[in-house]
Amino acid sequence: MNNGIYGIEIAWLDAVIRLHIIVGLMTVVVMGLIYVERKVLARFQQRLGPTRTGPAGLLQSVADGLKLVGKEDLRPRNADPWTFELAPYMVFIPVFLGFVIVPFAFGMQVRILELGLIYFVATSSLGIIGWVMAGWGSDNRYAMIGGMRAAAQGISYELPLVLSLISVAMVSESYNLNEIVLSQSTYPNLLWQPLVLVIFIIAGLAELNRTPFDIPVGESEVVGGPFVEYSGIRWSFFFLAEYAALFIMGLIFAAVFMGGWAWPLGEELGRGWQILLVTVKTSLFIFLIFWIRASVPRLRIDQLMAFSWKILLPLTFAQVLINGAVLVYDAPLWILTITGLVGIAVLVRLIERAVRPSPAISNEVVTAGNEGAS
Amino acid sequence: MRGIIKSLATTMSTFIRGPVTHGYPSKHRELPERDRAFPLLLWDKDIDEPFCTGCHACERACPVECMTVIMKDNPNHESQDGNSKRRKIVDEFWIDYGRCMRCNICVEVCNFEAIAMNNTWSGHETSVYDRADLVMDLPQLMAQSKSDEIQEWVAD
Amino acid sequence: MVIESAPDFETQDLLINVGPQHPSTHGVFRMILEVDGEIVKDLIPHIGYLHRGAEKLCENNDFRQGVGYMDRTEYLASHNAELSYVMAVEALAELEVPERAQWIRMILCELNRLSSHFMFLGAFGVDVGVFGTPFIYAWREREALIDLFEEISGDRMMYAYFRAGGLAWEVPGNFEERVREVLVSTRQGMKDFDNLLTRNEIFLARTKNVGIISAEDAIELGMSGPTLRASGVSLDIRKSEPYMYYDQIDFEVPIGTNGDVFDRYIVRLKEMEQSVSIIEQCLERLNDGPIMPERMPRMLRLPEGQEVYIRTEAPRGEYGIYLVSKGGNKPWRLKVRSACLSNLQALKKMSVGQYVADAIIILGSIDIVLSEVDR
Ligand code: SF4
Ligand code: SF4
Repeated sequence: MNNGIYGIEIAWLDAVIRLHIIVGLMTVVVMGLIYVERKVLARFQQRLGPTRTGPAGLLQSVADGLKLVGKEDLRPRNADPWTFELAPYMVFIPVFLGFVIVPFAFGMQVRILELGLIYFVATSSLGIIGWVMAGWGSDNRYAMIGGMRAAAQGISYELPLVLSLISVAMVSESYNLNEIVLSQSTYPNLLWQPLVLVIFIIAGLAELNRTPFDIPVGESEVVGGPFVEYSGIRWSFFFLAEYAALFIMGLIFAAVFMGGWAWPLGEELGRGWQILLVTVKTSLFIFLIFWIRASVPRLRIDQLMAFSWKILLPLTFAQVLINGAVLVYDAPLWILTITGLVGIAVLVRLIERAVRPSPAISNEVVTAGNEGAS
Repeated sequence: MRGIIKSLATTMSTFIRGPVTHGYPSKHRELPERDRAFPLLLWDKDIDEPFCTGCHACERACPVECMTVIMKDNPNHESQDGNSKRRKIVDEFWIDYGRCMRCNICVEVCNFEAIAMNNTWSGHETSVYDRADLVMDLPQLMAQSKSDEIQEWVAD
Repeated sequence: MVIESAPDFETQDLLINVGPQHPSTHGVFRMILEVDGEIVKDLIPHIGYLHRGAEKLCENNDFRQGVGYMDRTEYLASHNAELSYVMAVEALAELEVPERAQWIRMILCELNRLSSHFMFLGAFGVDVGVFGTPFIYAWREREALIDLFEEISGDRMMYAYFRAGGLAWEVPGNFEERVREVLVSTRQGMKDFDNLLTRNEIFLARTKNVGIISAEDAIELGMSGPTLRASGVSLDIRKSEPYMYYDQIDFEVPIGTNGDVFDRYIVRLKEMEQSVSIIEQCLERLNDGPIMPERMPRMLRLPEGQEVYIRTEAPRGEYGIYLVSKGGNKPWRLKVRSACLSNLQALKKMSVGQYVADAIIILGSIDIVLSEVDR
């Protein structure tokens, strides 16, 4: 199927053209996302959101972009020049690389990789280096704390994310995103893997540094974290990366759990329908993330780590094992649905147990914080 | 988890309820008649002169001393073949809006009901580029009352 | 999460400066945190950025002018601040305040408590990390309350509405309906907050067992108001030394059990319910009558050589006025006993040993108004 677009047969030229299309698309989508996020959040908070630039504030992102480009590119005198100036690109490039494998519709992706999912996970985790570089290079204490938090968080949530993707790949019996989508043309994976769906959303939130896991950039604590010292175009690269990552996560969600362009209308549809389907599914994910952002507080760093290592990771491991057992013994797939739902119940129980107030009323100043609560 | 879902439901309910804010500079809320912005001097339409006699009462009562009043003999007084009953009248009047704390005391102490708090939006939107521009002189203080733009409310 | 470090591994505590320009320091408060990783080792608060000499200014102004300055010492609950001041003056001048004026004062003070607590809920929600939503909810309700204050007194924050002896002017004719109307929306706002935060697991995880202060410590530090009651001390000046007509009103004083951040939140939320019921009871008893005493001198002069200390229960705790008169129309000495200043003393005790993120919400849970701390 990979005959290239416009009949171009030279493989590298074809890839370059496709990548350029992606770059253009991504910029537009990110601008759109920023606008939509501001509008949606505003609506959740009973505000109006941007209204003054263009009709209904539609040009707000353009205006912001122009402002950022026009701003002076500042670097603190004590900052480490190389790490400071390279960090935005180190954050941005891995995100962008992830777009290589995302399917927008049948045959509409840059490359079909056999290990597409693994590739996605590998590239997206590279971005942490950029965060740490930004935190370290800025010579700012808020930034440093933010960078360290980002590193800790990124590494911890990588695992549940990978394992949740792996368990889906087990059900679809492929790492190739295209085949994963095709395998779901009758039933989407979320039917078989409800627990993993929840864990994917949670870990995805953490990977994207979004509320309730926006600890590295927590406005009220570290004032923007690693980005405190950035301005102008460099800062806008972080911003671009953040929203591009959100977009790509939504696309992966659509492809891996919701059956991408195949489900529920089958594979025989025209391109337009396929793109529409993917857009709707991606928007669903993104809307959910905005919704969560408007509603929940931020976790504390120790709770965040405990949540990942003590709750999410064992559950995903269990799911992977169950998947393996079911697939090896050729048991019917609905067993997975049931175990998944049980898993969700366990997750809910665990969360509720973790926050249950400690029975003993202590009237002494706690000196070590309450560990493990999440 | 149930609590989080409740939170989500709450925000969704406000999502449905719709915005409660206005696009401010293009849309103004209606101000109550008692609204206090900054003090203004009132214009006596019958005789075509300010009510203020320059009696300094407000100047002395002002807690932040932001007013300056200069009084003069009224050229329009009856004894000068005019039609006014005011023997003295205000000559110059300055109020420094940058200092005024909008306490309403000047309005309360004035015996001639010559001063009132601006209760229109013009009193709230007073941003200027130079602080000196916030010192209002007599014509500026009287302009609104002269052109009937203010419906003053004075506590009885 | 204690990580044993190798003995030759040198680590250094980090000093972080939080404020005076920081998104969550509630005004111009500055604290220096000494952190070891994410744990606060020491906390040094710096206050005084907002000092304007309000007490001294009051000593140079007569009793009518002073009311305006009192507004500014506690700009989120100006009515309560004015109340202490005028009550102190009334006590020295032996003025009998008419009944109607008292009831209106009570209603306004309780409404102001509501608006101030909404402000707390909003700011606190943002400190805990919800992106803006609680703030806007709080603003929505506070806007309704402030609109009401504006219709009554003419100003949105600096009301200058109470006078020694009574009120500056009558309330508008539709006062009662308007108050009831606002209470409806206030109830809705409280419900929204309750649904949004109280049971949210993340919120619970963040606030429970954080920043605990025991009752003894709280009393020793001179804390007051909801911050003290959260530690389990049932001290409310409205109950213990009723002023105005609080003795005729039926209300409860909610207290916490644990003295942690969550208790300080829930105590305030419960207190708001009580305030609503107090306002409703007051509205029922509101009757016609004068709002100023019959014989009111044009210029109030106090007898010589007297002093008084009046305290009232402001939203943040005991707001006291110490007034010394040496005759004349100005106070000889005026001292504001600020609840926030005393409550703030507990910050270090609560924060040391907690996480950096906790220090922020602990500060938020004390609910300080910097203009009251610094005056
Ligand atoms: S405004 Fe009134 S009090 Fe002030 S000088 Fe004029 S007449 Fe006197
Ligand atoms: S409102 Fe108060 S501060 Fe302003 S001019 Fe009048 S007396 Fe002075």
